[in-house]
Parts: sequence; C-alpha cells; structure tokens
Amino acid sequence: MPGFWSKGLNVAQPESAGGTEPETVLTEEASLLASLAEDLRVEPLAAEGTVLAQGAPLLRLRNPAGTVLAAPMAGRVGHLELGPGHRLRRVTLFREPAAGRHRHVLPGDAAAGPLRELLKASGLWSAFRSRPFGRMPGPEDVPAAIFAMALDTRPGAPDPVRAVAGAEEAFARGLAALQCLASEQVFLCRAEGPARLPEPPGVRVVTARALHPWGLAGFQIHRHFPAAIGRPVWDIAAEDVAAIGELLETGMLRETRLVSVAGGALRDARLVRTQAWADLRGLAQGHLKPGRNVILSGSVLEGRESRWLLPRDRQATVALPADPRRRTHWFLRALKGASRPLPLIPTAAVEHALGGVVPAMPLLRALSAGDGEAAARLGALSLLEEDLALADYVTCAEPRLSGLLGGLLQRIEAEEAA
Amino acid sequence: MIRGIWDRETVAELLIMALLPVGAVWLGLEGAAGLLRLAVFLAVAGAWHVMWMLARAQPPSLAGTVTALALAVLAPEELGPVALILSTSFGVVVAELAFGGWGRNVLNPATVALAFMGFGFPAAPWPDLPVQIGWAAVPALAIGMGTGIMAPGLVFGAALALGAGWLAGLPVAAVFPAVAGVLALLVADPVASASTRLGRWLNGLLYGALVSLFLALWTGAAPVQLAVSAALFVSLAAPLCDEIAITLWLKDRKRRHG
Repeated sequence: MPGFWSKGLNVAQPESAGGTEPETVLTEEASLLASLAEDLRVEPLAAEGTVLAQGAPLLRLRNPAGTVLAAPMAGRVGHLELGPGHRLRRVTLFREPAAGRHRHVLPGDAAAGPLRELLKASGLWSAFRSRPFGRMPGPEDVPAAIFAMALDTRPGAPDPVRAVAGAEEAFARGLAALQCLASEQVFLCRAEGPARLPEPPGVRVVTARALHPWGLAGFQIHRHFPAAIGRPVWDIAAEDVAAIGELLETGMLRETRLVSVAGGALRDARLVRTQAWADLRGLAQGHLKPGRNVILSGSVLEGRESRWLLPRDRQATVALPADPRRRTHWFLRALKGASRPLPLIPTAAVEHALGGVVPAMPLLRALSAGDGEAAARLGALSLLEEDLALADYVTCAEPRLSGLLGGLLQRIEAEEAA
Repeated sequence: MIRGIWDRETVAELLIMALLPVGAVWLGLEGAAGLLRLAVFLAVAGAWHVMWMLARAQPPSLAGTVTALALAVLAPEELGPVALILSTSFGVVVAELAFGGWGRNVLNPATVALAFMGFGFPAAPWPDLPVQIGWAAVPALAIGMGTGIMAPGLVFGAALALGAGWLAGLPVAAVFPAVAGVLALLVADPVASASTRLGRWLNGLLYGALVSLFLALWTGAAPVQLAVSAALFVSLAAPLCDEIAITLWLKDRKRRHG
C-alpha cells in the first residue's frame, strides 16, 4: 500500500508471467513511419532491395548531423519513401535472418569524444532524449545530468529491471559510459526496496514508490535536477543503458527490447522480447478478442495509434475503440457541455496526477492560459507531453493538457532559437 | 484514449454528497418551511443557470444546488421575496455566471449573495443556527476531505486558529454552529479557496484568525454574520495565499537547485 502522504496513483501493472523468461518474437516486418510535422530529414545509406545485417547503418540524419539510424533486424530494405526535402516518410524492412549482425568498430580508449562518435554512428544516440523540449540531443550538446530510468509506472508497462535481466554487467558498463558523457551527475531511478541492478559508485541512486507518475523521467528530473535552457538533462531507459554496455563490449547492437502487449481487446497480456519498429499487429495476432480494436504504441494513457512500435516505446496497448457518440436532443447536450470547455476544479485527484511536487493548479492554469513564463517558472521545462497524460486522463480536460504543454514548449523553443 | 471521472460535474456531485449531512439535519429541524425556503433558492439559482445556458451556451452546473443550500441555511430571516430574489440573483449572476460558470468564478456565489443581503438589508435578523448544524458540518467536512474535494490543510488550519482563539479565552464555543457551518458550506468550496498546499493552510488559518478577531472586537454581531464576513474576506484573500505559497516554493527550489 502506498503511504498516506505520498502522491501518485496506483495503476494496474500486468501480472508478471511467473519466473519464466519472456519469449523472443521477431516480427517479419519492421517499419518506421514519420509524419511531415516530425521533419525527419535523412540521407539513405542503403538503397531499396539491399540486404542489411542487424545494427547496420540504414539512414543518416541531417539533424542532429552525423547521427545514424540502424537497422533493427537483419533484413531487406523493402520500402524507402522520402518526401520533399529528404524528409523520411516510411522505411520498411523484411526479415532475412541469414544477414547476421553488424559489428561496429570500437574506439581504443574510453574517452568522451570517441564514445560520442560511436553512439552517433551506431544509432544509440537516438535513445537519449534531451529536456527541455524533448528532442534527440544535438551533436555537440553536453548534458548536465543523465537520468537512467529503471522504473516505469505506466499502466501495463514492462518492468525495466526484468528487461535488463541477464545483462547486468553490460548495464553497469553502460552507466560508467554515461558518466563520461554527463558534465555533472548521472542518476539511476529505481523502485523502492532492495537494489536489483548494479549501482556503480559515482551514480546517484534515487528511489521512488511505484506510483504513477513517478516512473516518468519528467517528474524525477523536476524533483532532483530541473532542466533549464542552457542546462539540458537527458533521460534514457535502463535497457538502452545495457545496450550501450553491450555495444562497448561486443561492438554489436542489442537485438531486442522487452515489450508488453496488453489492453482490453486482448485475451491475455503478452510480454515479449522483440525488435524496435516491430509490427504490433503481428505481435497481437492470435491473442485478440473478436471484434473491433485499436492498436496503440505506448500505454493506454498517452499511446498513439500506430501499427508499428514507435522508436521510444516499450509497450503496446490493444484497446477497445471508443463508442461512437450517440445523437441526443440538443437540450440534453447543452446541459452536459458546450463548445467552450469545462474548467478544471482543484481536487486531490489533480494533485496526485502531478505527483504532488508541482503546484498543480497554478501550473495547469498557466498552461490553459498559454502563459509560458509562469509555466516555465513552475517547472514546465522539465516536463514533456507524456508527463501530463495522467492529468489528462484524471481530469478529462478539454483541450488536452498534454497538447497545451506541447504547444507551449514548441513556442518557447522557437523564441529561444530566434 | 480513455477518460477519467474527475470532471467538473463529478466534483459538484461529490460536493452535494458531502453536504448532505448538513442539509438533512437542517431540513429535519426546519420541516416544511425549510423545504419551501430551499425550493425558492433552488428555483432562482436554477432559473439563472438555464437562462445563461440558453443565452450564452454555458452549461449549467449542479453546484447551483450547493449555492442554494448554503443560502437557505445561512440567509437572514424575514427577507421579503423581492430582497431575497434580488440578492440571490446578484450572487449567482455577478459572482458566478458572469465569470463563465462554476469553476471560473473567483468568489463563492453564496458568500457574495449573503454579503449583499447583509449590507443591503441590515434590518433583517441573521438566523440563529442550532448546535446540530455545527455537528453535522463535521461529517460533511470528513466526507469532503475523504473524497479529496475539500482540502485538509484548510480545515485543520481553521481548527488550529480557532483552537488558539478558544485557548485565549474567546467565546468560540458559542459561535461553533455558525463557524463550522460556514466552513463547510462556503469556505471549503474547492473553487473559491486557495489551490496550493501551503496556500490552503494559510487560507484556513486566516479564516480562524478572522473569526477570532471579530469575536474579540466586533460587539453585537450575530454569529452567522461574523462567520460570513470572515468567509468573504478569506475568499478575497485566497489568491494572495496562493501567491505567497508559490513565492516560497520558488525560493525553496532556487535554494536547492540553483
């Protein structure tokens, strides 16, 4: 039971499938779809029809310059569609296990410079996310702090400690590598209780109760090391830290990630090790309940509808589609709501949804009013859209608070760039 | 994708639920006359809500019921129908609907209506609340705090300040029904009170301190008049309490994180 004073909500976690190791399922196809809004400008490093080994460079990004996206599995490049201005629209791989794994050239010493080059060239650079603004860090950015997240409290999320199981040594090596990158401090966030992962000296361990939203990097960063313009803070998932460790040891990229597939439209929840960009329809096949469903990449709170596992996600939700709105008499509809959204009422529920570390209502009011200065003062720069998904769920706010925060961050970023 | 339940009307429903003990006890004591009084206030508040829905497409709120109950319990007796309708309309329209409906208002509409009655019709005697209302306010506050719609800091802060006044020898026990009833019906309203944790404590402390101050210095005031006046000032000071709390929070963060 969570303590009386701790703030946060206890959301359902999937029953772990006993002590058995989750099965490894590689889907036949893997795709990355990008919208024009994402503005993902790339140069292809492999033409359509080429067979690539797992981990081989597939696309070079123009921004941040010099970083690479690697092939998540051994396969043939099936489709590669670029839009105007070299914007990526879609890249699809078809699996060909015979192509093997790509071995990257390791730097001789463990200094920060060669390590950064290796991460950029191997595709692991994209595992970092920089705050404020939540973008992939720029090629020359140096983070003040890095948060390694060994805690994930989203409903249905897989346990990050379990994801790293069997690669503890690589995880420790990865954490040591992170210490070369960060200028001030590396944090390891984990659940309360005995340590289940190696905690090398120099890494500051912060523990939290397994209450949502405390497993989101945003609130941990807000509490322990707030991000600011000119003082970026990066976050990375524990499994990606282990992937860095494995890369440094073997020169090869980790093949799979632990992904949970859960939701109301599934007969039974699944926990599988699968590749990035995996085909979620393929993973759900054979486990679906009859009837219509919607596949989301991410948890039920903040997930986006997608057939493919999105690059940062480690869970998929197969949900029942929302009921189409029934038509009622205009008077009854007017009693319930109007074009103008209903206001938020300050209750304990709102406080809990924001973890109790932010003055919740002043922050949400600043967001609703579009007051960027006040929101930034109250800590909005440490937060990203996903951090307000729980508040959106709890309060049914309209327009969505996460969308308001996203727009505000974009505006602040544009103002900073100008 | 999925939506939770804590929208405005859920909170209004819970607020009504929390205030049921007060309403039931009051109706039990007043009988048919009380029912008629409540019905009049409900009709006036409801009529304005529906009128604003039709004219301004502003959805009505169940919180109008809470306003009506507070007015029925606390309004001065022997007000004529014109005075009663006029002051209720003033509170509901000017303090609530003109701001965009419940949730966007700054002051509690019932507090404003009661202040209007007090200033506009000073000859009308304030009701003398029976002690049962005071005790019924305790479960009402407990339900409110348990469901998270009323702030524990506010209630305990008020209790603390009143306790201090009582220890200082002020006749707090004599005004207990009015002070507790007003705390449950007006001051603990989640919208019109402070919304930060420290701000709520300050808000509650201020209510208790003002009641104590009026008890000490304001001779000849009826208990309800005294408590309603304190509620009005506290409601006006709520943004200040929040501002103080946020300033202190920012100072603390600056000290810790630079």
